Amino acid sequence: MSLLEIDGVTKRFGGLVAVNDVSFEIDRGEIVGLIGPNGSGKSTVFNCIMSIYDVTDGSITFDGTDITDHRTHEVVNSGLSRVSQESNPIESMPVAGNIQLFTLPNSVTSLRGGASDEEIYEYAARVDIEDKLREMPDELPHADVRRLEIAKALATEPDLLLLDEPFAGMNQAEITELAATFERFREEGITIVIVDHNMGGLMNLVDRAIVINNGDKLMEGTPTQVTEDPRVQKAYLGTAEET
Amino acid sequence: MSSATDRLSTVTGRLDQSLQPLADGFNRLVGDYVGELNGLQFALVFGSLAAVLTAPFWGTFGLVRAMTVAAIWAIFAMSWDIQSGYTGYISFGHSVLSGAAAYTTAMLVHNVDPELSMAITIPVSILAALVVGLLIALPSLRLSGPYFSLITFVAVLIFYRLIPSFSAYTGGETGIQSVEVFTYDPIARYYYMIVPMLVIAVVLTVIARSNIGLILVSIRENEAAVNAAGIDATKFKIFSFALSSIPMGIGGVLLVHFTGGVDPTTFIVVDRSIEMIAMAVLGGMSSILGPLGGAFFLIVLRDYILTDLAGLSSPARWTIFWGLVLAVLVFVREGLFRKLWHTLERYGGGQP
Amino acid sequence: MISQLLSILVLGAMISAVYALIAIGFTMIFGVGGVLNLAHGALIMIGAFAYLGLTSSAGALSLPPVVGFVLAVAITAGASYVLYAGLVTYIEDNIVITFLATVVVALLLTELIIIQFGAEPSQLIPVVPGSIYLEAVGTRIRYVELVAFIVSWIAIGLLWYYVTKTDEGRSILATSMSTRGAELTGVDLGTVKSRTWLIAGAFAGIAGVFIGTLQSTTPEMWLNPLALAFIIVVIGGIGSIKGSVVAAYLIGYLETASIEILGPSFQGVLSLIVLAAVLLVLPHGLYGRELVHE
Repeated sequence: MSLLEIDGVTKRFGGLVAVNDVSFEIDRGEIVGLIGPNGSGKSTVFNCIMSIYDVTDGSITFDGTDITDHRTHEVVNSGLSRVSQESNPIESMPVAGNIQLFTLPNSVTSLRGGASDEEIYEYAARVDIEDKLREMPDELPHADVRRLEIAKALATEPDLLLLDEPFAGMNQAEITELAATFERFREEGITIVIVDHNMGGLMNLVDRAIVINNGDKLMEGTPTQVTEDPRVQKAYLGTAEET
Repeated sequence: MSSATDRLSTVTGRLDQSLQPLADGFNRLVGDYVGELNGLQFALVFGSLAAVLTAPFWGTFGLVRAMTVAAIWAIFAMSWDIQSGYTGYISFGHSVLSGAAAYTTAMLVHNVDPELSMAITIPVSILAALVVGLLIALPSLRLSGPYFSLITFVAVLIFYRLIPSFSAYTGGETGIQSVEVFTYDPIARYYYMIVPMLVIAVVLTVIARSNIGLILVSIRENEAAVNAAGIDATKFKIFSFALSSIPMGIGGVLLVHFTGGVDPTTFIVVDRSIEMIAMAVLGGMSSILGPLGGAFFLIVLRDYILTDLAGLSSPARWTIFWGLVLAVLVFVREGLFRKLWHTLERYGGGQP
Repeated sequence: MISQLLSILVLGAMISAVYALIAIGFTMIFGVGGVLNLAHGALIMIGAFAYLGLTSSAGALSLPPVVGFVLAVAITAGASYVLYAGLVTYIEDNIVITFLATVVVALLLTELIIIQFGAEPSQLIPVVPGSIYLEAVGTRIRYVELVAFIVSWIAIGLLWYYVTKTDEGRSILATSMSTRGAELTGVDLGTVKSRTWLIAGAFAGIAGVFIGTLQSTTPEMWLNPLALAFIIVVIGGIGSIKGSVVAAYLIGYLETASIEILGPSFQGVLSLIVLAAVLLVLPHGLYGRELVHE
């Protein structure tokens, strides 16, 4: 049984169809790319999975449970976590506090639960920011802010990690390092879906790619199949000037 | 740091060092629950506590009376803070919460049975504050920022207008003046107010320094991140209102048994809500003890220094009151007591 | 019954025009700067008391009402500008501090007015004295109501012309749609905001004189207009001038009708119910945009 099952998901905003009848499955242990030109609806799919948006139609099943109508925090607690495209750390708290928030139990009677300092150190160490725990987010370089976002997601102990444009704004060395980090996550048992509009960098990392264009699923297949598919080439060429 | 600061901090640093053992003892004992102090901060907290507890033995009648009122308002300011100051959903409607409790007490006595025991009226009144608090929480589920604030503002106006409409039960403009006071002895009365205030201060401080406080602040800073952390922000928002309404209810009950009656001007009118906010802001929002300090500072200033000592008329006192609040808002945004706190941290020569 | 309806129709039209002035000023200030000016009611109060001080027969000046009216409007516009340049401009980066500070200004002003004029309600001399009995409607209206209606509509008309037909005015409209966009096209934000506060102040001054004459002139008179401004602006859609006018008429008629039919004590309650309904069904009001300012 697959870990995540997207079945006929449609999302309309008024008259605009952002995602049109998209279906795909993610198996445990995979790293899958969700790719497509800018504005094709990839992030909207993530937003639907995380219940930031209610889907107009279709269903989302995670680990055998229908999570379509779950609220965001319930989705997170069932084992899904998303790293957004925009970093939004809480500026008034140091890195450690930002991570700690993501370990707290969802209970109004829990005064002192959550991760210990050692556990927070571990989450930070998995993305190499363990020496920055006391720093404030606005003191961090861009790449570390992005790493903090990933550490926060890790702190919810996800089975499936949704990464939205994780490589944006990074240089080649940082990208290579981060890709290696994602490989390690997979070895630790985390399944990963990566959204990226840039097809090239992703293809060495992913097992499979799903291509979305104008809200429709165009195709899915191995990296080679995808890069060689004329429909995909056309979709990217059509928007080449914009990207 | 300037050289004057340096010279001063060599003196204060030494003072800090000598107090440090006491502060360390405190930190070991309860530091985990309420936060750690340095020597100077320890001196401030326990010096003030000692002063407050012994006030009837050294203060004049006027000062003790002002501090009695200040204790009640400190409860309001702290209660407002745990909800509005922490979550950022700024409520202009908190006078309705204390007013609901006070009016419940007075209306029970007035309409049901004048002999009704406080063992009944007090819990029912606090419950009434809780119910109204949860009603005010409802718009926070849909609205945020200024929209929410203005809704609560309008809610106060409506409550204020409704009271005369049901004057048979509420006593209209003049209110109900037949509530029994706790005691006429000014010293006993002082402790009736101070003890609940201290208990509420400790409880709210512990909560504010726990996970709950962290989550409430995170709602203010970034509500979406709270949900993304697997935490139900809505539940915590509603909880913050409950957490706020209960002490608001207690304060309302204390105030009605202090004044011996209710009327819309003393309890409901929007100025009262803004007073609570002013105290919290003057002391330093989202710190619990800052609003407590703000309440004592403003009320002792207004009711004792400007009234008994300076002999000013009521509008002149209020002019100074609001003028001061405005000045703090513009020049010391973080609040006077928070600023004092951080200054002590600096002059103490580093945190332990 | 018919006569009651007609009188609601006539009286409602008069007061609604003044409400529209109040709401337009409030919404314009929010539109260009994202500032919720809770001292807007206080500006209205300044208008009323300035007029009182200038024209009252007990005062030193005892100016003719029309001269007093013009000066009161000018004084209120000036006060509004001073409020912006002397206070709001330093704190507008923090929305919470701003609306706390502006409400404190209102309370401070209340005390200053009590010191100067006393706490009791004062009586304003009508700009135009006398009244006329409308035979067909069966109700008596005061000339000053008629003047309020006409002056308000002239002011709204002039504003409409200004923001749609002149470059200066268009820059205000542009800024309220997108601050960044307007700056990119070379609009000077400081100038636009100053002008907006002046206009809002002038409108508040006009409204102040008429509200003070028709309703009451007291040191507490800032509260109701502020609540009305807020209710109207939310219903009309924040930032929308057209929405303010439409919603002002809705609320003005609602209030007039509820006073005529239910009595004055339920006046605000109906408005609040409408407000709640609008927030639930149309969170952005009739002509609104989202409450997201950049």
